[in-house]
Amino acid sequence: MGLTQIGASILTALLAGVLTRGTWRTYSLLALSMFAVYWFQPVAPLRSFDFWLPSLSLAFVILVWLITAQAGAWKSRINFIGLSIIIGLVTFIDLTRYIFPQPLLTSTTPPQFVQYIASVLIVLLVIFAFTYLSRNNIWLLSLATILLLSILIILKSPTLTLQASIFFRTLANRPIENASALDIRWLGFSYIAFRLIHVLRDKQIGRLPELTLPEFATYVVFFPSLSAGPIDRAERFAGDLKKDFALTQDETLLAGQRIVLGLFKKFVIADALALIALNDALATQVHTTGWMWIHLYAYAFQIYFDFSGYTDIAIGIARLVGIKLPENFSAPYTKSNLTQFWSSWHMTLTQWIRSYFFNPFNRWIRGYKNIPSSLMILIGQLATMLLIGLWHGITPNFILWGAWHGLGLFLQNRWSDFAKTRIITNNPRLQTTLHLGGILLTFHFVALGWVFFALSEPSLSWQVILALSGVSR
Amino acid sequence: MRKLILLSLMIIAALALAACGASDADAPAKAVENYLTALVEKDGDRLPTLVCGDWEADALIELDSFQAVTARLDNLSCSQTGTDGETALILCTGNIIATYNGEDQALDLSGRTFQVTQENGEWLVCGTR
Repeated sequence: MGLTQIGASILTALLAGVLTRGTWRTYSLLALSMFAVYWFQPVAPLRSFDFWLPSLSLAFVILVWLITAQAGAWKSRINFIGLSIIIGLVTFIDLTRYIFPQPLLTSTTPPQFVQYIASVLIVLLVIFAFTYLSRNNIWLLSLATILLLSILIILKSPTLTLQASIFFRTLANRPIENASALDIRWLGFSYIAFRLIHVLRDKQIGRLPELTLPEFATYVVFFPSLSAGPIDRAERFAGDLKKDFALTQDETLLAGQRIVLGLFKKFVIADALALIALNDALATQVHTTGWMWIHLYAYAFQIYFDFSGYTDIAIGIARLVGIKLPENFSAPYTKSNLTQFWSSWHMTLTQWIRSYFFNPFNRWIRGYKNIPSSLMILIGQLATMLLIGLWHGITPNFILWGAWHGLGLFLQNRWSDFAKTRIITNNPRLQTTLHLGGILLTFHFVALGWVFFALSEPSLSWQVILALSGVSR
Repeated sequence: MRKLILLSLMIIAALALAACGASDADAPAKAVENYLTALVEKDGDRLPTLVCGDWEADALIELDSFQAVTARLDNLSCSQTGTDGETALILCTGNIIATYNGEDQALDLSGRTFQVTQENGEWLVCGTR
């Protein structure tokens, strides 16, 4: 999100917070979020993809709601209104091509009305076929999860995205020589998919409360958290929507403070640090150990201030409309071990992975009695962190980053086990020294991990690690 | 609420009808103006959406030629001068002002005729003469 989009989000949230109450607040947030889905979507070299991709996000929202809601739920008044808002606004956005000389919300002109109507009919047909089949068919929830995961894998893998681009270019009779993995940029899909999978999984295990379509759709595409999270839980979010909310002066002040803090973190600190933060170009140009560490420190703080700044902005804007989004960061660089770091960095993603992967995986692997417990821990930590790495992108460097943290967590776990019975001290100075040492060690371990995260190639990362360790290249 | 839904449906139906009946006589000239705007803005993502498949590579080469300069449009106006089969021929007046090292250079747009063709209902720039 740029400053214009953030400014517009603050203004519209303020208006929605002041002017709307009860169900109307939900409707207005749904409408605003829908506009944001299209407005925030970056332009794509493939024609009308900046319209089709957000529309597909909304189609997934309707599909997942229909297969997780009770049969016939769409006939209720509130859900029918919600469905009408979604279809009506998407139709309006498409029709803007005939009303305004330049695209209004999308980056390029939306597709022709005839193409749009044909696509809507196909999508509705698929959705209703799914819904019809889903009655008493719990496996459709798994099928929807697999579908979402498959798209996520394609989007996260540069090779597969390139193949997808070639496929769509061939369909559209465009030259495939110009195909690029960057052709398909689907704003917020990682977060949308994780929210939808959480709902599907909770439905499977019988933990999902009944949600109306407006509540559900607003939860999935809520505009403050659309592009950079946090990943909230549906029942918690719907709880906030159901609460009677009136924007008070105190609430506005608190939200304002959080937004200003976020803007300062992102646009002053992070953007300044970005000028000297480690990147591919610097990795090849810098040869001195000292400077390489400075660039790495700059990157470590830049990524923190950038991401946590966006989170502050999202939390602040959401407060204006009575939604208390969960925290995503809790001073992660002040933690004295890696487990604590991961409990305070991108917390909502970590909690999601813990709930839907780490805990079920651990329960499953404990069934194998012949595997030593330390090996179980290693496999569990490694698999979890590899998954977090792959969520950022299916590239060798993200895999290395995940493996780095997985091994780090395992080593820290073993050390904690060893130290808790052998290193016992009541000396406060020694305790402080150990604590500070832990903070420094954890920070540097995390910072070294950023070498893989920041750079595109393992060979480049290796060169940087050599430079950081003082080995000349 | 029923009235509101009915009203919304009526608005959408009216817009749809307007859409069906909308005149697109200026659409080929508008396509060239959009193309030139994307060109001077060096918008490599939008540019391919404004040209036909056969012209995409050429358009990107033309875009590359503007990478080192700051460019803007001056008094741009495009209009259709004729047709060649299913191709609309568009002539533009005005200039692209390319600034390099503080020095302006005007590139006259009237020197070439843009060929614009229709693909899936969209007018797309598809070459010059």
